[in-house]
Amino acid sequence: MNNVKCKKYFRPETLLELKDFLKNTSENVSYIAGGTDLILHAREKDIYENNIIVDIFNLKELKGIKEEGDKIVIGAGATHTDVEQSDIVNKYAKVLALACRSVGSVLIRNHSTLCGNICNASPAGDSLSSLAVLGAKLRVLRDDKIIELDFFDVIDKPEVNKLQNKDLVVEIVINKLDENVKCDFFKLGRRKALAISRMTISTICKTDESGNVVLFNITCGATFPKPMTFEDVNNILIGKKPSKELIDEVAKKLSDKIPEIAGIRKSTAYKQPVCEKMVKRVLSKMLLNEEV
Amino acid sequence: MKIDFTLNNKHITLDTEPTKRLVDAIRDDLSLTGTKIGCEVGECGACTVVIDGEAVTSCLVLVGQVQGKNVLTIEGLSELEIGRILQKCFVENGAVQCGFCTPGMLMSAYALLNKNQNPSKEEIKEAMSGNLCRCTGYVPILNSIEKAKDELKTLSKK
Repeated sequence: MNNVKCKKYFRPETLLELKDFLKNTSENVSYIAGGTDLILHAREKDIYENNIIVDIFNLKELKGIKEEGDKIVIGAGATHTDVEQSDIVNKYAKVLALACRSVGSVLIRNHSTLCGNICNASPAGDSLSSLAVLGAKLRVLRDDKIIELDFFDVIDKPEVNKLQNKDLVVEIVINKLDENVKCDFFKLGRRKALAISRMTISTICKTDESGNVVLFNITCGATFPKPMTFEDVNNILIGKKPSKELIDEVAKKLSDKIPEIAGIRKSTAYKQPVCEKMVKRVLSKMLLNEEV
Repeated sequence: MKIDFTLNNKHITLDTEPTKRLVDAIRDDLSLTGTKIGCEVGECGACTVVIDGEAVTSCLVLVGQVQGKNVLTIEGLSELEIGRILQKCFVENGAVQCGFCTPGMLMSAYALLNKNQNPSKEEIKEAMSGNLCRCTGYVPILNSIEKAKDELKTLSKK
């Protein structure tokens, strides 16, 4: 039998019903959205045996992607396919659409959610580096109130988030990027589809009329214990005209962060030079229109 | 728990454990064994079904999650014109060898053609990227879908 063992399965019809339920329970709650990770975790070990599984996948209030002034708001029930195909995301935060497109396969993306990718805090989470460069925030339902938390503050370490019991991420909030902002996402995996990230690179960049960089953010994913961006790396390009030398400097500085932050691991000898090469490749193509 | 949903165009109420995997409910509770169990981790696509028009791996969906949804399995697809055309094209173009992956392949192909009547080769490859076949080498499968696309186009012009 492959049932997910749990104390109780609860599928609220509305957010109000869910709020009432949360007010009246002191049990441990585990949320399921798409469930593509939770079902696998439950197969390995009965980790939800003493928890109430609350299924939020079909809550209408948590579906959809909308604009809210200068922000994009992505509901916790939005699948990777929803995000990948969203006109709003493609227009104002294309790096996220590209990242979501790299997740698993079409079959997985049709049921897995972006929010689940965040809350699972997998170090190999495909979307995380793109959310990092976009400076995402999370709206969280806590004690019947909505609070806004920084995405960086929610992921603690590999596979661990800092959310409290019953906390529910209801929305992901991203500042819209100017349509002139260039962006790119690159995933290194062992095969084209269904690959677990060995590394991802996400970047956004905007130049002014004279060609000087006014906005730049780059980071790599599946590399650090949690999503991170680096001011000293980004400052290499800001205020300057992109050049091969500056791109090389960015690539070196970002790749040097790997042993600095993650320590010298077996994979460092592979990841550090790969990061440097990938950053050069992505930035040279995006900013200098050159293949390296 | 009672779960109401549409299965192969018929409304049903299934009384089962909501945390059962959809693939197990389909095969064990409903005795529809056309949907196969392969890798059980969402990588092979043998268990592909279509929920509300989207192809998904039913080993990674709980049956409780299909409340109110429209689920199509390979048995339901065989009743549809598009299913019959896909089946014919698969057979005629050598896209079936051991046949274990075939139901999943057909479900993914159906979901694609149902949404996009004129997919490009790249779009077909992308749509089939979650379905693995260890026999055919994929080329006959992709050719069959191209063929089915053409037959469906001809049919719609009549």
